Amino acid sequence: MAQYSAQLDGVFVALADPTRRWVIRRLGHGPTSVGDLARELPMTLPSFMKHVQTLESNGLIHTTKSGRVRTCVLNRERLAVVDDWLAEQRRIWEERTDRLERLVTDQQEKQQ
Amino acid sequence: MNPDLDLTIARVIRAPRAAVWSAWTDPSRFAKWWIPAPSLCRVDRLDVRPGGALVTRLSDDGVEFVPHLDACFLVVDDHERIVFTNVIDSAWRPTNPSPVPMTAEITMTDHPDGTDYRVIVRHGDPAARDLHEKIGFADGWGSVTAQLAGVAESQGAL
Repeated sequence: MAQYSAQLDGVFVALADPTRRWVIRRLGHGPTSVGDLARELPMTLPSFMKHVQTLESNGLIHTTKSGRVRTCVLNRERLAVVDDWLAEQRRIWEERTDRLERLVTDQQEKQQ
Repeated sequence: MNPDLDLTIARVIRAPRAAVWSAWTDPSRFAKWWIPAPSLCRVDRLDVRPGGALVTRLSDDGVEFVPHLDACFLVVDDHERIVFTNVIDSAWRPTNPSPVPMTAEITMTDHPDGTDYRVIVRHGDPAARDLHEKIGFADGWGSVTAQLAGVAESQGAL
């Protein structure tokens, strides 16, 4: 539950800012370079980079660098965390069961 | 079982039932799988009996531990079944847990290859879901809905 909660917290932190929401909306139309995004905003590039880092660290976007151009891509799965709570609970329990299974089968192998 | 609210997991685990039971009831073992790495789990209470406490904390840095789960066992059938809920806390106080109120039922039976392990997690009624949506979309988050719609429209089904 906390895992889910932490993810949700992260998503909401990332979305708790109009600039970052704008970036999400903008990336909804397709990957865009940091430079192109920054040009449309009334702030310095270093200030904008902080927003990019917040979005990336909370998993809402990925960035890739090609030469001098850093491109931002929306991570739709992460946004879905907000939307599909049941799927998220299922994932948590599936992964929890994976770990339980790993623990007890490892013990088995050690005993044999 | 309500497919809109509940989830089930069925798995054959290649280990004896006693090992699976022990992973649920021995605090040091429980701590090894309950929370995904790299977060650390601390088991404050694991009193596996009806009415007993299930209290865990989690830490991302190994120093500060924050509350994770404060729940209460409802049914415990030795080596067969564990039912707990987070709607009643370890002090039997009714709570309003986030993000979702739930009751989890874990059953284990012998299987030729090990243990037939099943989980049913029953979540709160649609009000719980509405609450979740309120958390997500009310004041200040209203634009999230529009953005999700925008994303869905521009990139196909979300």
